Amino acid sequence: MLFPTVQFAIFFPIVLAISWALMSRPALWKPFIVFASYVFYAGASWRFCLLLAGVTIGNQVAARLIAATEDERRRKRIVVAAVALDLFALGVFKYYSFFVESLGNGLDGIGLGMPLPLLTIALPVGISFFTFQAISYVVDVYRRQVEPSPTIDVALYLSFFPHLVAGPIVRAKEFLPQLLKPRDPKTVAVGAGIALIALGLVKKVVIADYLARSVVDPVFGVPQAYAAPDALLAAYAYTAQIYCDFSGYTDIAIGLALLMGYVFPQNFNSPYKATGFQDFWRRWHMTLSRFLRDFLYIPLGGNRGGKWFIYRNVMLTMLLGGLWHGAAWTFVIWGGMHGLYQVLERMWGGRITLPAWFRWFVTFHAIVLGWIVFRSQSLGQLGDFLARFAEPGSFTLLTVPVALAIGLTIGLQLVPTGLLQRAQLWFEGLRPLALGGGLAVLIVVVAATISSQGVAPFIYFSF
Amino acid sequence: MADDDALMHRFEKNARRFNARDAILTVFFAAFVLVLIQGNSMTRAGERLKPGLQRDVVLAVGKPAGWIADQLPLHTVAHDLTAGLSPDTQLSKEGGFDTPLQAGAGAANQVPLVTPDAFAPATIGAKPGPKVPLKTLLITGDSLSQPLDTELGRALAGGGVKVVRDAKLGSGISKTDIVDWGRLAVTQTKNDQPDAVIMFMGANEGFPMKGTNGKDMPCCSAAWASIYANRARQMMNTYRRGGRTHIYWLKIPAQRKPGRQAIARVVNAAITVAAQPWGNQVTVFDTNPTFTPGGKYRDAMDIGGKETIVRKSDGIHLNEAGSALLAKLMVAELRTGFDF
Repeated sequence: MLFPTVQFAIFFPIVLAISWALMSRPALWKPFIVFASYVFYAGASWRFCLLLAGVTIGNQVAARLIAATEDERRRKRIVVAAVALDLFALGVFKYYSFFVESLGNGLDGIGLGMPLPLLTIALPVGISFFTFQAISYVVDVYRRQVEPSPTIDVALYLSFFPHLVAGPIVRAKEFLPQLLKPRDPKTVAVGAGIALIALGLVKKVVIADYLARSVVDPVFGVPQAYAAPDALLAAYAYTAQIYCDFSGYTDIAIGLALLMGYVFPQNFNSPYKATGFQDFWRRWHMTLSRFLRDFLYIPLGGNRGGKWFIYRNVMLTMLLGGLWHGAAWTFVIWGGMHGLYQVLERMWGGRITLPAWFRWFVTFHAIVLGWIVFRSQSLGQLGDFLARFAEPGSFTLLTVPVALAIGLTIGLQLVPTGLLQRAQLWFEGLRPLALGGGLAVLIVVVAATISSQGVAPFIYFSF
Repeated sequence: MADDDALMHRFEKNARRFNARDAILTVFFAAFVLVLIQGNSMTRAGERLKPGLQRDVVLAVGKPAGWIADQLPLHTVAHDLTAGLSPDTQLSKEGGFDTPLQAGAGAANQVPLVTPDAFAPATIGAKPGPKVPLKTLLITGDSLSQPLDTELGRALAGGGVKVVRDAKLGSGISKTDIVDWGRLAVTQTKNDQPDAVIMFMGANEGFPMKGTNGKDMPCCSAAWASIYANRARQMMNTYRRGGRTHIYWLKIPAQRKPGRQAIARVVNAAITVAAQPWGNQVTVFDTNPTFTPGGKYRDAMDIGGKETIVRKSDGIHLNEAGSALLAKLMVAELRTGFDF
């Protein structure tokens, strides 16, 4: 079930009302929300629910076993087994074909045949997100940062529908404590929730889908049909599109959770304002950055070692972070580029003093270059796209709305946020009927911009 | 971890806090206003869904909501105010499927004449006509036409051919809620004036269509197939522009699920029948011998001596590799009639 659909518009008010009606009785509330979340997930395919339930049970058993022993070696063996099982599930569903084809190509190159059968396996929506959260749970239990929770709480944590299919990646220690007692019905951030839902809808439906239709899909689809100016425009347009698409989803997810009384961590903080690459990753998909830092970079050794050891850890973390986004070499290269950016930044950082505007310019355009790689569906398509920068020509897709959509998305991140924050606070302070009426009118306007073919799926659904 | 904790408390600084009743009131009031303004679009959204629980629920809510909205002028006002925002192409008023064909229509209840156009030269051992320049190629259809359209676009890039890609996702000849292909064909033909059209469609078929008696005809009887064939024939007649455009209409390769296979079989049969009057202007290209020989579904096949996955995991669409292969075949087919 997608957020901007009629199905969800029927589903959510009912769930919200029952949720608050049952809130004071957790024994009823928790099973109800788990049930509602599984109904939400079954909207994609009921078969995926079996996988989600399997991951939940597997990790809960592991967490219980870890907590039941003080033997550190046994605890470690169990957590390693649980994480390996999570990664196995992720590997089978997400990476099987990629690995088999890559292996087959490699073996073909040395005259050996295909060793494994080719299969088309449906990618369960959101598997990358809920397996990471499952890992977060068992590892947090292993690290004694959280106690093993009741099974219903774990099921709720992994399946909670606002974050189920595309995050944000909520850590166990952030969410499970919120389940310990019912949320206070007297303090609900309704204004903030509605503001975020409205903002997310505009970002996704109005801006991201418009840029995709008007510029990004045509140029990345057949780059050979366009010259350098349109290729450059498409690169900027995708930079704006992916931000609006993903942060739009996150805004809606956080807003929905707020209406239900729950708080999710922030996932974006004006990422295109970054003046360095570490700065960028502290602003872009922040919950993934934190996850990679805590569950990969630090266990690899983090900053505890010589500079080459640190560079290795950075590269490994970013390469695997790239691969997390999808089973294609373009994602690995994209991750490698960001790893290299950070290594170079660490090498030269402090030795050269550059003006802030110049650091921003270089950072931003290196990120745009990364997005070209990220958007390309194959290395061949990437080559075709990059070759267009040597092709002189004129803009054929540049229109005032396109320029406005790109300019506002990127430009508003660069200007001081005081005015925007004041406007948001004013909106958040409106009375419920004004908030509801405002949201409805906005939905009518937003819906008018949707093509008859419906809303395009969120980009991160496929990750 | 201080930074992470601060993220979790960021909403507590906001001045105004509401209670749970306010949250419910806000959401239900928004829903109420939406019903008043756009209740009728809920029914349309429901009708687009595949049969199942979701569709039943949306229609159960949508029908009364639509009735309420119909009693008020708000949806007309909202539509007029926001009409300029729609990204959809303004379709021609001609050629729609909403007027059911009458039995014998167009033939004045006489036996329709077979014209020379019915015979492709190869079928009667005649010499093919001279090749003509391919200036504009329209690739259209539903989601089946993607990524074939981009693969063909790349394959023909640099050859002086203008490639127009116009996929209408989720659409079908047997469902007119997303787009009426009768009207769309008229619009595309007027706008693009293509020399050739490649049509690949059939992922969303099997919906009931109104028969000559005005009643809904369920899939997949001969009666349903005849309605489908009439609609497809109407589109072919539009696209062929009196013989100035050559159409390549692709049959659907076998699909994984038996239920879908049954629909695909009827659709393929209807396409063949629809094209019969214009054998020299409409090439029905069968994808089955290449992708699913004998009508048996397969995920992977040998391409260049290497076993390669050619279908997407849904068992319906071709993936990039499959589409690239089909694009090669279509380029070869285009070269038999066109210079480019």
